Amino acid sequence: MPPSKLRLGIDVGGTFTDVCLVDGFNRQWIHKVPSTPVDQSNGIAHGLTEILALAQAQAEAVIFLAHGTTVATNAVLEHKLAPVGLLTTQGFRDLLEIRRQKRPDLYDLNVDQPPPLVLRHLRLEVPERLTHTGEVLMALDEAAVRSAAEVLCRHGVQSIAICFLYAYLNPEHERLARAILLKAYPHLAVCLSHEVLPEFREFERFSTTAANAALVPVLGPYLTNFASRTAALGITVRPYIMQSNGGVASINAAAALPVHTVLSGPSAGVIGAIYIGRQCGFDNLITLDMGGTSTDVSLVAHGVPRITGDKEIAGNPLRIPAIDIHTIGAGGGSIARVDTGLHLKVGPESAGVWPGPAAYGHGGTLPTVTDANVVLGRLNPQQMLGGRMTIDAESARQALSQHVAQPLGLALAAAARGVVAVVNANMALAARLVSAEKGYDPRDFVLIAFGGAGPLHAAYIAEELGIRRILIPPRPGILCALGLLVTDLRSDFSQSVLCLANGAALPQINAAWSALTARAAAWWQQEEIAPAAQLLEGAADFRYLGQHFELRVKAKPGQWTESDLTALIAAFHAEHERQYAYHAAEESVQLVTLRVTAYGLVDKSAGELALDDAPEGTAVLWLGERWVDWDGQPGRVLTPIYNRAGLQPGAKITGPAIIEQMDSTTVVPPDYQMTVLDGGSLLLEGSLPAGEGGDQGE
Amino acid sequence: MALQPLDPVTVDVIGAHLLAVAREMGVVLVRSSYSSNVKERQDCSASILDGQGLTIAQAEHIPLHMGSMLGIAEHILRKFTLANIHPGDLFLANDPYSGGGTHLPDITLAAPYFYDGQLVAFVSNIAHHAEVGGALRGATDIHSEGLRIPPVKVCDAGRWRQDVLDLLLLNFRLPQERQGDLRAQFAAGRVGLQRLGELYARYGGDTVAAAIKTLRLKASRQIRQAISLVPDGTYAFTDWMDADDGGREAIAVIITVADDVLTLDFSSCAAQSTGTHNVTFPALKATVLYAVRALLDPSLPANTGFYDAVRIVAPPGSIVNAVPPAAVNNRSDTCQRIVDAIFGALAPALPSRVPAAGNGAVTGILFSGYDPYRHRFFSYIETLGGGSGARPTKDGLDGVHVHVTNTSNLPVEALETEYPLRVEKYELVAGSGGAGEFRGGLGLCRQIRILADQINYRSKGDRVVTPPWGLAGGEAGGTASFILNPGTSAARPLGPRMQGVLLDCNDVIAVTTPGAGGFGDPTRRAAAARERDQREGKVGANGRLE
Repeated sequence: MPPSKLRLGIDVGGTFTDVCLVDGFNRQWIHKVPSTPVDQSNGIAHGLTEILALAQAQAEAVIFLAHGTTVATNAVLEHKLAPVGLLTTQGFRDLLEIRRQKRPDLYDLNVDQPPPLVLRHLRLEVPERLTHTGEVLMALDEAAVRSAAEVLCRHGVQSIAICFLYAYLNPEHERLARAILLKAYPHLAVCLSHEVLPEFREFERFSTTAANAALVPVLGPYLTNFASRTAALGITVRPYIMQSNGGVASINAAAALPVHTVLSGPSAGVIGAIYIGRQCGFDNLITLDMGGTSTDVSLVAHGVPRITGDKEIAGNPLRIPAIDIHTIGAGGGSIARVDTGLHLKVGPESAGVWPGPAAYGHGGTLPTVTDANVVLGRLNPQQMLGGRMTIDAESARQALSQHVAQPLGLALAAAARGVVAVVNANMALAARLVSAEKGYDPRDFVLIAFGGAGPLHAAYIAEELGIRRILIPPRPGILCALGLLVTDLRSDFSQSVLCLANGAALPQINAAWSALTARAAAWWQQEEIAPAAQLLEGAADFRYLGQHFELRVKAKPGQWTESDLTALIAAFHAEHERQYAYHAAEESVQLVTLRVTAYGLVDKSAGELALDDAPEGTAVLWLGERWVDWDGQPGRVLTPIYNRAGLQPGAKITGPAIIEQMDSTTVVPPDYQMTVLDGGSLLLEGSLPAGEGGDQGE
Repeated sequence: MALQPLDPVTVDVIGAHLLAVAREMGVVLVRSSYSSNVKERQDCSASILDGQGLTIAQAEHIPLHMGSMLGIAEHILRKFTLANIHPGDLFLANDPYSGGGTHLPDITLAAPYFYDGQLVAFVSNIAHHAEVGGALRGATDIHSEGLRIPPVKVCDAGRWRQDVLDLLLLNFRLPQERQGDLRAQFAAGRVGLQRLGELYARYGGDTVAAAIKTLRLKASRQIRQAISLVPDGTYAFTDWMDADDGGREAIAVIITVADDVLTLDFSSCAAQSTGTHNVTFPALKATVLYAVRALLDPSLPANTGFYDAVRIVAPPGSIVNAVPPAAVNNRSDTCQRIVDAIFGALAPALPSRVPAAGNGAVTGILFSGYDPYRHRFFSYIETLGGGSGARPTKDGLDGVHVHVTNTSNLPVEALETEYPLRVEKYELVAGSGGAGEFRGGLGLCRQIRILADQINYRSKGDRVVTPPWGLAGGEAGGTASFILNPGTSAARPLGPRMQGVLLDCNDVIAVTTPGAGGFGDPTRRAAAARERDQREGKVGANGRLE
């Protein structure tokens, strides 16, 4: 029977474009093609054509298509942004360049600031001013707007950010300025600060708006191109684009707010991890996505990713709703070195795709984490990628010996263990950052490890954190592409209100809720989401009067009564207690920002994805054995090597063992129990000493 | 206890863990505190000290805070002795002469950590409190600068001493805000103790002690190696502070490099001043350590291992080692000048590393008084960045904090919502970067309108008279100015360190911070860099308000 009801996920990374296809019978196809950085849609078209051929499927049968893109991310990282102009309140054109007036490093005299998002001569002021209550202190000088627009257009800007003080309280001046601009220059892309981010704190709002304006001319054409390439292949559904908030959006929505895709790269992996976790019965997860050059760590409590609004990329703060993912510059390709103080450091320098680790035999001479794993025997010392790549273990040994073992006066094996221990400690500290620093005990969570290198390190990282259970998805290397298939449409709306949280403020609060829910309804309509698929969630940011940071509390997204407010204030006290170990019941509480999240739920009722690698029972299980160096064991241990594809649900293995598969290697240390779960995920259980870690209940 | 030598990896893993504990304390402090000064501007730091009070790890936001961290535990141990220090104690101190502080607004918290019944460490954190009492209209000695706190127990073996807390809070004009910030310091301390406990439980006391010892040895080796790469010799430099009487005061240093030891002699500095910009020894030491680390090896860890290769000579009673009752509130401007002098002295020895002089001040303005709109007393302080010195291979940074400080600005939308003030201008000052092959960074101008009567204005800063110097043929950067009601017939320049000025509704203060010196012959500046400066309007007409 030809595949029908096809669902496609396309994740474009720096090296590979992963395509994941699932049909109505839960049959799954995976394909990897080289990415094409100049125009990502070339690689995508290539990958789509090939996977449809592999599956012998028709493009018309595609009913869902989601795409994770790094076009906007790379544009910001490499500062390849469109020329953009800024119109702002008189007296404040340098705000974008002054930033928060801090230098990026306390001691490094050679450090530089990232270039400003808008160059100084393209930042123009116009007379206008609002007060902190939103009243007009000085009316907008319309003639000044016209002449500023003329100057900016003469300089060839393609888009203009309009950023006025207090526009989140009173948007009239920003709207009027846009009308004047578009009347004279209808081709311009114009972004208003109160539309991109209607929240207080001007620098962050201006910066986010300017970044959005600089990305509109970059992402817009790419998305148009992407849409026409998929249409040309015969795919008729509207494609969706992954956003930083862990939801997808239509092409039009993504093109209008491209800044919302900047941090989307790792978010599909978290959504995929939540899906796998739920499949296996776990909803408290710490996700560890360890790739070649970096590792992304995040925390999922009760099946919900933590969303934050204070992320930064390339030195620019972006106040966009984003899954709270902590990225560290260390992965399999990270280079180990000994610094002037004789400290062993790993990363952030990476051997990259080329020449890569010394073990790849492409001429790399510096030792990497991968090389250390090869020396320890944890990675296959002969070949990888299912035999598509040979491994040069001797080069790995040489690199590690020369650059780590000799300077530190260590034996080779100790040096290799050292490199792995340092990287594991860094990962564990990153995991503490997203858990303990936010008031969560990591021991209450399951570590779900993916990315090419995650399953290789997961057990020891878990041990550092006191975590007893580790989950390895069936296809650790392509979890992002899978995540795209199970991602809902999502849009976040916010409104700063800044009022004392008491009954007198209820009219103001409820007026803001009305405005927010109206925006959500307009979004549903625009995205053509059927009422049955609509879901609305609310949240409110509170703080003690006089505090300057807010805490977010879940809230009813609609008309509040006095008792709703009382309950929410109590919830805020409790959250403050949980995060900071104290609360102040006698203090006045201020309500800062109201938020709604609107969902368009995607049909995931196709059932659980079967993720077997090969038709049941056809793959070999036993690959042989080799000598492997394990922490806490004096010598090397002869360790069995299993083929992941040959592992059937229900199978149990006691460590030490190594599980190899095309896209990853899973390490099961001595005394660990490994169970293959239904659906193909692996559950590793350590045996921590009593009193440490252990179950916190199912 | 016998300390086994540890493998280098365990040492580094424990080192990273200790640093993470300090950082987590810093995060809790910033996020849970009340005042804008701690929260938005992050004028705070956190550290872990050993049982003798020596630094093990720091989460630094501000290099100058290292001074107070160095001092507090030493004073606690001296005053209370081991017999009177118990688990569950919390100590506070701020006094520069008896509590190890560097000025009164920096209140330091320290909590002892016991392992196996032994005092093995302190966790410590520091927050700059916006108001600590004292004379509103100007201080003449340490007593009038605020409430002096020697090391006191606010919590004794787990029991809060409300009487002591009441005494402190009674002396502050904004007790509720102080209480909020202190609570955040206590919470951060508790988190620090908890995390340190987890670390000790995981590795054991002997292993942690051995790791700390090794980390110190490594730091000592690292600094000595860096010093030995500096050509041996004697290097001298004198820079100048603006004196309160309109004259100038010498900040002079003679640096001797002998093999792997660095000696800095400040014997020729001016005598201590009757003004508020005196420096006590802990602040001098923190400043010297900053300069050494920045110039010789920024990767040096903040632990005491590296301090013993650096010797400091400073006669008591001088402006860099003041004795009671000298006022010290504005010590940070002088600390910046100490850095300038050290950099100036070592420029011939390290020509490819030393930048030209940065803005050389911690320019600050403070407004306080009764807010008639919000019906409360308010106190608002902010410090402004300026230029950073041009480097031997590139331009300086525009509008940043340099050297001993690094605090955020307060958003205009937060400031105006909270205080009876309106910001009318916040911009880079064109032409304030010293010319050179590489241009000095630009200063900032901020103009604030007062929206209430009878508001106290205080300021701090420097380099109104002596501009930041250039290097290798680069020109000096722009100077600072403080102007009341600029652009009106009543315009009047004010001094850098003013006290007791009363402002009324609609008065305007315009502060211009210094730029920074240029590096290299200006005629060698690349054509593209010149064009960029012209296009972006960063050179030419000095935008300072006359």
